[in-house]
Order: sequence, then structure tokens, then C-alpha cells
Amino acid sequence: MSKTLKNFILTFCGLAAATIFAMFFSHFAPGNSGNIALIYILALIITVRYTDGYWPGLFFSVIAVICVNYIFTYPYYELNFTLSGYPVTFLEMLGAALLTSTMTTNMKQQARVIAEKDKLLSETEKEKMRANLLRAVSHDLRTPLTSIIGASSSYLESRDILTEDEKNAIVIHIQEDANWLLNMVENLLSVTRIHNQSSKVKKTYESVEEIVSAAILRLKKRLPEASVTVSVPDELLIIPMDAILIEQVLINLLENAIIHAQSAKPILCYVEDGPHYVTFHVKDFGVGIDPDRLTNIFDGNSYIGNSESDSNKGMGIGLSICKTIITAHNGIINAQNHSQGAEFYFTLPKEEVSYES
Amino acid sequence: MSPKHEILLIEDERNICNFIVTTLKSNDYKVNYALNASSGLSLAAAGCPDLILLDLGLPDMDGIDVIRNIRNWSNVPIIVISARTQEKEKVEALDAGADDYITKPFGTSELMARIRTALRRSTINNNMLLPTQNQYVAKDLVIDYEKHIITIAGNIVHFTQIEYKILTYLAQNAGKVITYDSLISHVWGPFADSNNRILRVNMANIRRKLESNPADPQYIFTEIGIGYRMIDNENL
Repeated sequence: MSKTLKNFILTFCGLAAATIFAMFFSHFAPGNSGNIALIYILALIITVRYTDGYWPGLFFSVIAVICVNYIFTYPYYELNFTLSGYPVTFLEMLGAALLTSTMTTNMKQQARVIAEKDKLLSETEKEKMRANLLRAVSHDLRTPLTSIIGASSSYLESRDILTEDEKNAIVIHIQEDANWLLNMVENLLSVTRIHNQSSKVKKTYESVEEIVSAAILRLKKRLPEASVTVSVPDELLIIPMDAILIEQVLINLLENAIIHAQSAKPILCYVEDGPHYVTFHVKDFGVGIDPDRLTNIFDGNSYIGNSESDSNKGMGIGLSICKTIITAHNGIINAQNHSQGAEFYFTLPKEEVSYES
Repeated sequence: MSPKHEILLIEDERNICNFIVTTLKSNDYKVNYALNASSGLSLAAAGCPDLILLDLGLPDMDGIDVIRNIRNWSNVPIIVISARTQEKEKVEALDAGADDYITKPFGTSELMARIRTALRRSTINNNMLLPTQNQYVAKDLVIDYEKHIITIAGNIVHFTQIEYKILTYLAQNAGKVITYDSLISHVWGPFADSNNRILRVNMANIRRKLESNPADPQYIFTEIGIGYRMIDNENL
């Protein structure tokens, strides 16, 4: 009901505006009815653009033709369809009006259909991502759990025949796997901090060096033998972010570097200041990344179907979570090989940017 | 040897409870435990423990309320046990009067260190007879409260008034985490703007004077979303 009313009001306004404009025009340049018809057609296109359905356009064109006849052609202020050649003008204008109105309406409908398709597509895409993540998680959780259960039961069952060293080895193994599980769960928990619908995060202004140092501290607690060379710019950088999440990203990247580089050289972690972005680098001097995997390394399922999946356990999920976090911050994360190993870097915008870009 | 310290553990997860009790006992503490807040509170009132370990996620009562309740009648040190992602809850607990927090999961050595620090601080606070400490010493850093002099490896380092105030407040509470809000209200007064940008700037300056690598600090550590913690005083 209100839609009909809106359509009616808009149509009426369009007609009135066109008529007033045409009156002005005919006052200054009388006898030029072709231009007046064009003014009406222009107003028609604009009206159809802002109304829904075919009816407003049709209504507009009929009224417009009558108006032109009544106001702007001789005899003025009188309806007269008997003028020589007038039926042709009449039909031409009606035809043009109907055609434009139909075309505009069609275009609008097509745009709507495309937008709906897009929405549907992005939703299935999201669903697919979620399913992939879930699959990867279950796979990744099962492996260490199996090993924990196995190790602990073998400890309990054959306690008497195991040597002290073997017992120690078993318990150490259990502890390693449990720590790995914890790491994993923390990663998953951090994702829940990202707002589901809008994938936005709650940002506060944080000092970059504090985040970096806290990440290094936690890393050292977890992997005491890790050697990392870290540096930050001399000037203090305070940028908006969810600090816990960015710390998680840094720890994931550093841990990845330590585990996968297979190198004794210390890992380089440094921060670069730019005009609009701050860039965090994690650089290792190891074996580098297989070029085939570089393209989809952040997809979260890059290892599924890979024969060496267990040696890469967790890498997929950790990195896909990094990507999710950085994207939610409007930043960019990337991986590349340099001449002596692999490098991961991510950027964070220095100021709050609007969501449109 | 000093008499055994008595620790009260309030924790609803039986597995975690067992593990902590075993660890504490093997480290020569006397341990009592409660599996919910109400029995924990009555145990605290009856036993007068030297320290309370409190899990924030209890089934029958909000952990923050437990802290407030205990603080009504006792200054016993309280260490809160909580999960990592709940920074807001930790800050609330600290502001409600908890002395420190420890993040789940924790290693036994970390737990013991926190307990030792908290117990030492409470003995100092309780025994006014002890000569008041007038020096803070940690690694190369020495803070002389009487002379207002701070040295690193023997070299005098100059700090502004505000920086000195921040540093001494952290040093006097060394080993304990100080929330942003309590630091701001101590240095700039209770009505200061709680926007902590100015605190960040001052901390960055202190770090540049104190630490050889600000990204890998030795003296003052950041607890993200909560506050700062200064390394323990060795001069105790």
C-alpha cells in the first residue's frame, strides 16, 4: 500500500517538475514542442529509476502525452487530436516513453537478481569455509588425542617393565601433545572474538612494541629454546587493533617459522612503519615454502589429501586463522620465499578505515 | 624454618583441584580446598589461610563477588585463576582487590613463583617492624627511593617526574600486575582521563631509557589488555 503511494507521489512529482520546467522553456522559446517532449522523456527516465514496477512509467507516459497536447501545442489549453500529423507525434512519444520505462524496469530487476545471486554465492562460500575448518579441526585434534590416550594407557599397562627413561619419554610426549592441543584450542577460541555477522573486531589503540614483546614473551614460555631477533621502530607506534588477536597472529607465525624452517639461525621479527600501514615481518632462514603451496597456504585446507599431513599438522588452521584475523582488521597477510628461506608479513592500517573500500 | 603456609584453593574442577593440591603439598604448603564458593567462603572465614587461590568460574557465585566478600573482612592475598581470553574479567578481579592472576593453563613453576611473590608481599605489609625497603634491585637496575636515583649497571639514568612516579609505583609492586586504571589514577590522580594513550607514551619513553631492546624487555612486561608487571625485586 505504502509502496503504491510512494510510486504515485514520485510519479506525480516527476510530472509536475517536468511540466513546470517545460512551461519555463516554452515561455522563453515558444513553439518548440520537440524539446518539450524530450524534457518529459528525461523526467520519465528519472521517475522510472526511482519507482517500482511498470505502472508508474505507463501512467507517466500517458499523462505526459496528454499534457503536451493540452498545454504546449496549438490550440493551447485544449485537447485536440485532429491536428495534422499529430497522431504520429502522439504515437512516437508514447512509444518512446513506454520503451524507456520498460527498459529501465527490466534493468533494475536484473540488478536485483544479480545481487541476490551474489549474496547466495558468498553464503555458500562461507558455509564451505566453515565446513573445511571443522574438518581440519577434527582431523588435527584427533591426532594428538590418539597419541595421548595411547601413551598414557601404555604407561599404565606396562609400568613395571618400562625403564625410568622410557617412562620419562612417554610423559614428555604426552606433555608435548597436550601443549599442542592447547595451542590449537587457543587459536580456535580467538576466532570466536571476531564478530560473526560483520566479521569485525573490537579495536582499541595499542602500542605496537608492547604487543610484539608480549608475543615474544609468550612464545619463549612455550618454546624456551626458540631464538628470535626482534626489533621495532624507534618512534612509538600506536594503532587500532584487537591486541589479543594480533598477538595470536604473531605467535602463530613465529611458531610456524620455528617448527617448519628446520634451521638453527634465529628468526627475524621486525616492524616497519609506513605512511598508511604498519607492516609486521616474520622471516626465517630455512628451507622455504613449496611454491605449489604458496598460493593457498592461508586456505586452511592446504594439507588435506597431502601425504605428509602429520608433519604439517596445525599449520593449515593456524594460518587460516591468521588470515581471518588480519582480514577482519582490514589488513593484508602474505607469504613469500626469499633467497634464504621464507617470509610472512602482515599489514595493519594506522587509522580506522571505513568499511566501504 | 618458618611454619608452613596455609593455602585455600577454591576451584570447582576436581581434576585441576587434585593437581594443584598435589603440587602445593609437594612444595611444602598446607592445603585446604573447596569445590564451590559458599563452602570456600566459610573455610576462608574459619581457617584464616595465608593465601587464597580462586577460580573465577565457580558454579554458585560470581568470582568477583567472592573477592569483594573476602575483602570486606580480610587482606589475605588472593590469586585468581582464569582463562586467557577473559581480559575484562581479570581486570575486574584485580580492581575488586585480587592481588594477582594466573592464566589457565599454567605450569607448576609459574604457580609457585606467583604464590611466593604474593606471600612475601603480604609478610612485608603485615610486619611494619621490618625496616622499610629503600632500594629496588633487579639485574642491572637499581632504584634508590631515598636519593631518587635510578642506575643501570652503575650509570645514572634521568627520568621525568611522571616517568619516575610510574617506575617507582611498578617497582614497589614488583612481581604483581598493575592494571592501567590503577596506574593512571596513582600517577595522574583519580579524576584523570582513563584514555591510556598518555600512559603508553610514557611507558615507551621509560622502555627506551631502561631496556636495551624495547621489543624484548628485561624489566617491565606488558600484560595485554590488563596492565604492566615489573620483574621481582631481588633485594628482599
